[in-house]
Amino acid sequence: MLKFALSAALCIVAASNAFAGAEEGKAKATACVACHGPDGNSPSADFPSLAGQTSRYIYLQLKDFKEGRRKNEIMSALTTNLSKQDMRDLGDWFAAQKQKSTGFKADGAKVARGQKVAADALCTMCHLGGFSGQNEVPRVGGQHQAYIYRQLMAFKNKERTNDAGNMQSVMRSITEEDVEALSHYIANVN
Amino acid sequence: MKFQKMTRIAAALTFAGFVGNALAGEIENQSTSSGKPMSKSLVSVTQQLLNASTNDKNHWLHPNGNYAQTRHAPATQINAGNVGKLKPAFVFQTAVMESMETAPLVVNGVMFLTTSYNHVYAIDAVTGEEFWHYKHKMGPVSTYCCGPNNKGVAAYGDLLFMGTLDAKLVALDAKTGKMVWETEIADPEKGYSETMAPTVIDGKVLIGTNGGEYGIRGFVKAFDAKTGNLLWTFNTIPEKGHEGVWAEKDATGRNMLRNIAKEKELLAKNGSDFYQTLGGGVWMTPAVDTDTRTVYFVVGNPSPDLYGDIRPGDNLYTDSIVAVDLDTGAYKSHFQYIAHDVWDLDAVSPPIITTAKGKDGKDTKVVIHGGKTGHVYVHDAKTLELIRFSEAMIPQENMWVLPTPEGARMLPGANGGVEWNPLAVNSKLRLAYAANLHQPMTYHVEETPYPGGDKLWLGGAFKVVPGEKQWGRLAAVNIDTGKIAWKADTDQPLMGGVLSTAGGVVFTGEGNGMFNAYDAKNGKKLWTFNCGAGVNAPPVSYTVGGKQYIAVAAGGNTQLDFKRGNSVFVFALP
Repeated sequence: MLKFALSAALCIVAASNAFAGAEEGKAKATACVACHGPDGNSPSADFPSLAGQTSRYIYLQLKDFKEGRRKNEIMSALTTNLSKQDMRDLGDWFAAQKQKSTGFKADGAKVARGQKVAADALCTMCHLGGFSGQNEVPRVGGQHQAYIYRQLMAFKNKERTNDAGNMQSVMRSITEEDVEALSHYIANVN
Repeated sequence: MKFQKMTRIAAALTFAGFVGNALAGEIENQSTSSGKPMSKSLVSVTQQLLNASTNDKNHWLHPNGNYAQTRHAPATQINAGNVGKLKPAFVFQTAVMESMETAPLVVNGVMFLTTSYNHVYAIDAVTGEEFWHYKHKMGPVSTYCCGPNNKGVAAYGDLLFMGTLDAKLVALDAKTGKMVWETEIADPEKGYSETMAPTVIDGKVLIGTNGGEYGIRGFVKAFDAKTGNLLWTFNTIPEKGHEGVWAEKDATGRNMLRNIAKEKELLAKNGSDFYQTLGGGVWMTPAVDTDTRTVYFVVGNPSPDLYGDIRPGDNLYTDSIVAVDLDTGAYKSHFQYIAHDVWDLDAVSPPIITTAKGKDGKDTKVVIHGGKTGHVYVHDAKTLELIRFSEAMIPQENMWVLPTPEGARMLPGANGGVEWNPLAVNSKLRLAYAANLHQPMTYHVEETPYPGGDKLWLGGAFKVVPGEKQWGRLAAVNIDTGKIAWKADTDQPLMGGVLSTAGGVVFTGEGNGMFNAYDAKNGKKLWTFNCGAGVNAPPVSYTVGGKQYIAVAAGGNTQLDFKRGNSVFVFALP
């Protein structure tokens, strides 16, 4: 437990160094928190939690919404007037927030099945162990299950196409039932 | 399990989202000191010392042992007769719990090792006491696949050189860990990054690049060791002529099932400007022939990995071994293993210069390479003509079935065969030792345009075949005949590299934490030790005060998700 507490404390020290634009991002995030939560932990599975997400992923997604590569009415409108620096600062601020549990109660059988599906699909080769993400590859561990499911299905059905083809290809041969299991497994990772 | 989970949580908290996290009291781009002054034994690494590495029992001055990259240590104190008594001398724990691929250098009793996220440590190679710790200040953008790894530093004079995840080259004062200069190798926003250890010769720092998964244009560059100024660049993708000879067969004579008529039509229709995003990373340290002043390296996959229609032609010099002039970077020769690769079965493991029988049966200077295909290739060093290729070291099946949207099964899987794992060569036994993976996979293609350099661009996906066993194999290949002399199988795919010693021992590690010693002649396992985390790094050997040591990092591996650790283990006879 000591090790756990120590690591968490060190993270806070790290946060102040690693995210140059976090302070600026806080002021710019006022429009975001209504849906994504005051500290980036969204209370609703309608919206993803962004706390602890990688800064680079948030930046690239905002850019994709702004430039029309990812489609969502609300996000497209909100990103229209954002500058590159705004998007970087927002990324830094959300990345510096601490991810909290969504309180999701996973189905044990689905978690076990999802773990197997994840191993076969080599998810952690890009998303890393614990689905912690790196750079442009998002942190998805502990995200809202319903949100994960919707995004995976959107890739599968080619409704979301800003992934440079990687997720569309991975999801193509995964059944809907396995997507459900996978979303339980990933949502349960913390 | 509980401990493992706990470690995972701690590791995730410590690293997720924090690009190379800082520890309390640590200053980025500067060294921190434990208070222990640098050992007086540290010497300047002269060109003479670097040239003499092949027969040098004391130091370990190159990531792969010497310029020829044989990874064969001349020391015999630890040998096949006594290796069973090997015991840990010390364990050095770094502050970074993430994948370790470092090959530590040892300069007269001082060890320099690196970790993920570009930390460097200088420690006493006998006691493990820390002299200094350097942490690179990562820029706002870094783009890399396969983990935040680093494979080690190069040493020259009083400086150390490291490539970074944000595509910079930094020079550090070996005595203090202070940064002397820093230069940008390429733009990280376009998918360039560095994990390889450079090599230095005659004042030139040679380094390639990662990025074949992001649509880069690969290169090897030479920088001035004193100033960091760029001296020359060899682009692994030529602007003109990358379509090559429209080869139908691979290096072993198997038909690659290309639709060459269609490719030619696409080239005529769409032009050849795609050379700027055609990939061709150089992942591993080049070998240097100091007699002929020739640099040898292997070039990785074309971009995108699995979708070929967007890049018609042979895609030279991807999936090739290439020779260039040390002084100018001018092209000398090349040999392509797989033209128009759509499987990512590229060339990664570093080339080795050694001696083997030529086609005329006479001893010939050769360059060898262990492929992801599972073959060891033997080339004439003068022309790079292929003299022979070995028996397949691992199962092959369905080669070369083309990837499909739903996935086509083919062996080996996309990790190999031999991944980046450096081979070792015992020239007396004429054996090359190669660490292999067996991972049955399906290959999936997805038509995808270039996404701009900031997103992974595979043009599809690889998946492992559900329910099929994966395993590893250490194979000893006779380079005179191409026959497999012996093989030792392991429960898990092998990732990390091999060390051979004049004591007749071969060392390699496993993802389950086991670090093993084998009899170099017959592959009999002589010793094993559990390091508690994946041993997925190349071992090294050195001698201090008449005592031989074997060192290896145990930090696990991102690519195969082997249990992470943070340590370098050092062993000696009691």
